[in-house]
Amino acid sequence: MLVTGIKSKPVYAPLQADVGGRYHLMVGLGVGRDPLLRVIEDMRAAAPRALEHTQVLYVPDTLSAFASAGVAGVRTYDDAAALLGDFSALLHRSLMGTRLYVAGPESFIGLVMKIALEFNLNKDEIRAEECGTRARRVYCVHCRATTENVRTNIVRCIGCERWLLVRDHYSRRLAAYMGVMADAEVPGELPPLAEVFL
Amino acid sequence: MTDAEIIAVEVIGIEQVTPLIKHFTLAPLAGGSLPAFSGGSHIIVVMRGASRVHRNPYSLLSAPHELGSYEIGVRRMEESRGGSHFMHDAVRLGSRLEIAHPVNLFGLDKIARKHVLIAGGIGITPFLAHLEDLNYGTVPYELHYSVRSPEHAAFIERLRRRAGDRLRVYHDSEAQAIDVEALLMMQPLGTHVYVCGPAGMIKHVIATAKSAGWPDSHIHWEQFSAPPVGEAFDAFLARSNVTVHVPPDRSLLESIEAAGVEVPYLCRGGVCGFCRTRVVEVDGELIHNDHFLSDADRSQGRSIMPCVSRARCRSLVLDL
Repeated sequence: MLVTGIKSKPVYAPLQADVGGRYHLMVGLGVGRDPLLRVIEDMRAAAPRALEHTQVLYVPDTLSAFASAGVAGVRTYDDAAALLGDFSALLHRSLMGTRLYVAGPESFIGLVMKIALEFNLNKDEIRAEECGTRARRVYCVHCRATTENVRTNIVRCIGCERWLLVRDHYSRRLAAYMGVMADAEVPGELPPLAEVFL
Repeated sequence: MTDAEIIAVEVIGIEQVTPLIKHFTLAPLAGGSLPAFSGGSHIIVVMRGASRVHRNPYSLLSAPHELGSYEIGVRRMEESRGGSHFMHDAVRLGSRLEIAHPVNLFGLDKIARKHVLIAGGIGITPFLAHLEDLNYGTVPYELHYSVRSPEHAAFIERLRRRAGDRLRVYHDSEAQAIDVEALLMMQPLGTHVYVCGPAGMIKHVIATAKSAGWPDSHIHWEQFSAPPVGEAFDAFLARSNVTVHVPPDRSLLESIEAAGVEVPYLCRGGVCGFCRTRVVEVDGELIHNDHFLSDADRSQGRSIMPCVSRARCRSLVLDL
C-alpha cells in the first residue's frame, strides 16, 4: 500500500568539498558529524585556506566533536530548533559565494533545506548527506498538522487523529511527507501497522 | 520557430538615439495587440533586402504590458553582414517588416532575493523591459550601465525614470568602469547577476562571479552572436537529398533555408539550442561559434548549430 517511486522524494549523495565556494557553512546533527569531519579533511587536503572561511553549526552541544577540526568557527546547540534559528540569522548575514553542507537524519536535512530555499539557495550551492534515522515528518493534508518522528507506514495525525497513510510525496516548502487518510474508502479498514522508516 | 509563425508589422516610429543606435517602434499591420511577452524577450526581425533575407534577433525594450506596439534598439554594427545596415539605411517610417513571436531566453529568476543587472552599450535593451517588471515587485535591484561616453548613453532618460537611483552609469570617456569584483564580492545570499553587452564584458562578469564563488545557477547572460564570415563550403542534407552551398558571408542556416528546407529556431544567435542539427558525417573540421554546445558535445563532433557555426571541410552531411 505504500506508494513508492514518487519523484519528489529527495535523494541525497555523499558530501563532497566544493572549493569553488568562498565561504563554507556546515550544519550537522548527531551522526552527521562524521560526514562533516570527512569533508573538512578533504578540504584540508585540496584547499586548506578554505577552512579559514568555514563555520560549523552542530547538535548536540559537545564542542569536542569538532575540537580538532581546525575550522574558523564552531557553534553547538542543545537541539535542532536552536540551531535552525541561528542558521536562519546567519544566512541573513551571508554573502553570495557561500556553500552549504548538511549532514544528519533526513527530517533534519529537510528543515535545513526549507530555510535555505527561503534564501534562494539552489542545488549547486547545497550538498546534503543523509545519515541516522529515517523517521519522517508527516503533513496531514486534511488538517495541516505535522506529525513528527513517524516510523510507521500509517500514523495517527496529532491534529485531527485520522489514520494517515504516509506517502513518498515530499514537499520541500513544508519539509514533510504528505499523509492522506488511510481508511477514507472503508472506515476502519487499515493496512497492518508496520515499522518502515528506521 | 519557422516562417509560418511570423507577424507582419509596420514601422511607426524611428528615432536616432545615439550616433550608432536607432530606436524603432513596430505596430501590427492587422491592428490590435501583439503577443504578450515577459521582460528579457527577443524577436526575430525578418528583413527582405534586394538580394537576400536577413533574420536578426533583437531584444524587446518596450513595457511588457503595452502590446499595441513593440520597441527595439538596433546598433549599427561595423562588420555587419547587412542586417543592422538594412535597419539603419533602408527602413523608413511606414516600412513593412515581418517579426517572429517573442521568445524569452533571458528572464529574471522568479524567487531571487536581489537582482544585479549589468549592461554594456546596446546590451541595455533587455533590461529596459525588465525594469518594467521589477518596478511592479518588491525585490531590490541595481542596474550598472557602461557606455563609451554620455552621447552614447542610449535610452538614458527612460532608464532614469524607471530605475531612479538604482541606476549607475559609467562613461569610458571619463575612465569610469564598473568594479565588477567589488560589486560581486558583497552581494547577499540569493542574489542573481545578469549581464548583456560586448563579449569581453560578459566573459569578465562570468569569470569574476565564479572566482567570487557564485554558482552557475545565479549567473545569467545573453549575447546574440552574429554569424561569423568564413570560408565557403558545401553541405549535403541527407533526408532532403539536396546539396547547399554556403558562401563566406552567409550562415549555414540561411543557406539551408534558401534551399527551401526549414530548421526550427528561436534566436539565430547561438544561444537557444533549437537549431541543433545532427552531423552524419564530416570530412574536415566543424567550427563551432555558438554558446550552447558543451565541450563534450563539441569533441564528439556529432552536432552543429547552423545559425552561427560553420565547417572547414571537403564534405559535410547533415541529418536534415
